[in-house]
Amino acid sequence: MSKVKHFIQQSWLLIVAAFCFGLLIAVTNAAWAPRIEQNKIDKLNNLISSLLPEGESFEQITELQVTSPKGKLLTSNLYKATSEAGDCIGWAFNVSGPGFADKIELVVAVDKNFDKFAGYAVLTSNETPGFGDKIKLPYYRNQFVGAPAEKLEPLKTGDPQIIDAQVIAITGATVSSDAVVKILNNSVTQIKTQMQDKGLLSDE
Amino acid sequence: MDTLTSLLLAFISIVLINNLVFTKFLGICPYLGVSGRIDMAFGMGMAVTFVVTLSGTLTWLIDHLILMPYGLEVTRYICFILVIASAVQLVEMYLRKFFPSLYESFGIFLPLITTNCAILGLCLFINLWGIDNLVEAVVLSFGAGVGFTMAICIMAGIRENLKMADVPKALQGAPITLITAGILTLAFMGFAGMIK
Amino acid sequence: MSENVQTADLGLYRKTFIAGLWQENPVLRLLLGMCPTLAVTAAVKPALTMGLSVIFVLTCSNIVVSLMRNLLKPHLRILMFTLTIATFVTIADLFLKAFQPVMSETLGPYVPLIIVNCIIIGRAEACASKNTMFISIIDAIGMGCGFTLALCVLASIRELLATGKVFEMAVMPDAFVPWAAMSMPVGAFITLGLLLGLVNVITKKQS
Repeated sequence: MSKVKHFIQQSWLLIVAAFCFGLLIAVTNAAWAPRIEQNKIDKLNNLISSLLPEGESFEQITELQVTSPKGKLLTSNLYKATSEAGDCIGWAFNVSGPGFADKIELVVAVDKNFDKFAGYAVLTSNETPGFGDKIKLPYYRNQFVGAPAEKLEPLKTGDPQIIDAQVIAITGATVSSDAVVKILNNSVTQIKTQMQDKGLLSDE
Repeated sequence: MDTLTSLLLAFISIVLINNLVFTKFLGICPYLGVSGRIDMAFGMGMAVTFVVTLSGTLTWLIDHLILMPYGLEVTRYICFILVIASAVQLVEMYLRKFFPSLYESFGIFLPLITTNCAILGLCLFINLWGIDNLVEAVVLSFGAGVGFTMAICIMAGIRENLKMADVPKALQGAPITLITAGILTLAFMGFAGMIK
Repeated sequence: MSENVQTADLGLYRKTFIAGLWQENPVLRLLLGMCPTLAVTAAVKPALTMGLSVIFVLTCSNIVVSLMRNLLKPHLRILMFTLTIATFVTIADLFLKAFQPVMSETLGPYVPLIIVNCIIIGRAEACASKNTMFISIIDAIGMGCGFTLALCVLASIRELLATGKVFEMAVMPDAFVPWAAMSMPVGAFITLGLLLGLVNVITKKQS
């Protein structure tokens, strides 16, 4: 009994403090947790709405499986963008693949029939600042807006203003530019097939 | 065979490409303080490797077995730091009792390691990267320690040579160490993209 | 008589505050808290956010430690300090996640790393556990402001050279070619090293 008493005498402050701090954190968390959840949802919504501006609401429909060229299986979340009237105006999905320095994660948007790209946004990347980092800039991203949703071809020279299946790489960042094109090429056919299998794309 | 390759790649990536000192800025305080001589640097590196492997494993286990299933993630930071502090304390007591010679060589470093940002930093990074199997967490923790040891020994070697160089008065000590570290970072950038 | 005591107190408060800003600036003179200094100073906004978070955690923990100072058992005090600091860092992290999600993501894991920031434990040990609450608060704010000041100076230099903007406002003319190296680790180390050298030169001249 005296051992327990000795223990409590030495550490009563620790126990009381732990209890008080625990309470403080629990209260703070309960107060702010809904806001934090909302922020997470907002972040993805903001990204997708910047790519599909006519969309009013975005919801995740399903998860698809994309196999990387090396055979690794990655899950991709598919989002449906609906306009105010309730019509589907496009789809968005996230894909990733190796870049120059590390993994690049993209959110890619396509139109409602999966005919054309509506563009992409970079979720995370670790490319060289000033060079590979330019995949985040409009110069490169605009070349994908309206490009056909099929295999794209990276080129070194050409006119970036012409929107077709050929994409002009960023000077000094060949590997990063090619990486983005590879990621898109790899995922586009697989996602389109899986969406058709699930009956999400109407055959018009 | 496939898992072995991916583990090896994870190990190489955290030692060379995502080195904790050069790319994530962790463990700078002991890095500046203890890199004067190679033997001290090696001792510090070994102590850090020992503690970080243990802490990385324990925090992963607690995170996945207790915190996440019961929705207690908000207490994550407190749990992690308490686990690390206790682990260091236990390691110290254990070494003092059973391996006194090893305890002598680790010396004063062990208590210092608790506030080493590298340990807590690694546990948080393992959490951030979403590592979901125990073996990978152990390999990454061990690799982090090896990377830190490598970084600090390279720095110690350079600093021992710098003692004979003519460093300007204002830059002696911490400033020239930082500048050297910056140049080392530049050298290690060459490893980026090694793993496809 | 009470007026003399009051002016003596004010003098002490002012001295403590100024010490945290310059003579005992935690980053530039005491060489503490280097890890966040290098990690978050790529731009001024994250640096400022980190500095304000540290001021918050330092002040709260100094208040609590100073209130508890007569009750602490010697061999448990580091544990108590750590527990206190961890609690306030968790609160600060939740605050950033709720009200500044972009900054929270930029700062990433460096916010919880404030727990092991040597400045906070150092001040709890050196000042708050031995002094009354008011002095501890002044000390905390002084040290915190010194830390924020050092971080912002470093961040302004790096952001200016790396992007030509400070706090996302353009300062350099359009013809300026940005030094991409400044936003990478190499720029962080070298700039901090040179800044420390500069501080050495200035303090040498003063003494």
